[in-house]
Amino acid sequence: MPHMLHPRKLLLPALVLLLAACGGGEQPKDTLQAPNADSLAQSERQSRTKKIFYSIPSPMETAALLKKAGASYNGKILNDVKNVDTYTAASKQALNLGVYGADLSYASVFNHTQESIFYTSCARRLADKLGVTSAFNDSVMGLMEQHQNDREKMLDIISETYWDMDRYLKVNDRENISALMIAGGWVEGLYIATQVARTNPSAELKQRIAEQKLSLTDLVSLLETYGEDETLKGVRADVKALAELYTEVQAGGGGVTATQENGVTVIGAEGEAATLTDSQLKAITEKAATIRNSYIN
Amino acid sequence: MLRITFASLLVAGMMLAGTTAQAQCKSFAKNKCVPGLAPYKFNETFNGAQLAPGDEAEVALTFYSGQEYRVMVCVHQILGEVNWKLVDQNNKIVFESMADDPKPAFDFKAASTTQMRVVVWVPERKTEMTHLGCVAIMVGFKE
Repeated sequence: MPHMLHPRKLLLPALVLLLAACGGGEQPKDTLQAPNADSLAQSERQSRTKKIFYSIPSPMETAALLKKAGASYNGKILNDVKNVDTYTAASKQALNLGVYGADLSYASVFNHTQESIFYTSCARRLADKLGVTSAFNDSVMGLMEQHQNDREKMLDIISETYWDMDRYLKVNDRENISALMIAGGWVEGLYIATQVARTNPSAELKQRIAEQKLSLTDLVSLLETYGEDETLKGVRADVKALAELYTEVQAGGGGVTATQENGVTVIGAEGEAATLTDSQLKAITEKAATIRNSYIN
Repeated sequence: MLRITFASLLVAGMMLAGTTAQAQCKSFAKNKCVPGLAPYKFNETFNGAQLAPGDEAEVALTFYSGQEYRVMVCVHQILGEVNWKLVDQNNKIVFESMADDPKPAFDFKAASTTQMRVVVWVPERKTEMTHLGCVAIMVGFKE
């Protein structure tokens, strides 16, 4: 019987190789500054964010929905880990922090542990470059390695890291990085869903893609609270272009009814379920790919 | 010169206090609120702020068909109880928790994908002291 290496034994050398490949350490060509404190846009945003929040589904929630919709795992469509060192501009680093975060969630929800650890390394590398060091302390990688066979624990660690990172950015007045990270993660989530739908265009998957119209509207609103912030200008245009394609998509929503079933409250929408035509799906798939590829390349 | 320096220090102090308050609010949510979502999985999205009596906050949330959810409004004790409601896009109340009869959370199953808003408002108090306290709107889901 041939001698087989246990995956755990392969993991550490692979990780060392990956981190070595990440190398680099170049300074960002552009930097993301906290917006001018005197700007009208910021004061409006501050007064509005105190009262109104925009909740964008996390990459983990989106990945879980994909799995539930019968999607399969396809690692080939994810961003190559080797790209991590090509991101020298801070805005690209922030966007790809979101992209790798979404890839990490996708791999983890589908229980691809080794890829999860690789993507965590990439996200950590970008977080370091952006100065978001406290979210990824040394124990995160150690914990992931320790619990690599415990999917639920892995998901908890990833969730907590995402939470800590977002918290760090918002608390330290780097909300524009947080917004880029959220936008990058959302676009990657849509890209994954549309790419999976190319080979498995199930009705449920198409419905989930149509429903993204709801969170896309919130993402547009979130980005608009940043006024004319130059670092977000391109991303704002990208999501608005996607929103344009979603204009005619039936996304559900509207009024709801609440009923009781076996002691559980069940909420149902009064309108029709979300759906989109093949031509709408094709247009959204192509646009999502174009935008996503412009972020990762 | 002295006035400018004092003003600058005051602004810097206020900014620092704001940042510290926000950090404390997030820590409060993480330590005191997230455990209350169990057995639901926290959706990783923080919607929270320091509010004072009379303040109102709201967040639009998307709920996906086939998923089970827990919506919870978690309030720092310094504020006392707050009022909150879950309303649909026609402003119809789906769930309501009033300060004099508070309910900690609302659990439900979404039969269809829908967007609803959580609206929170802090009752005015008959006191000369104005307390600021953290209010977090939390969502948990089951895979």
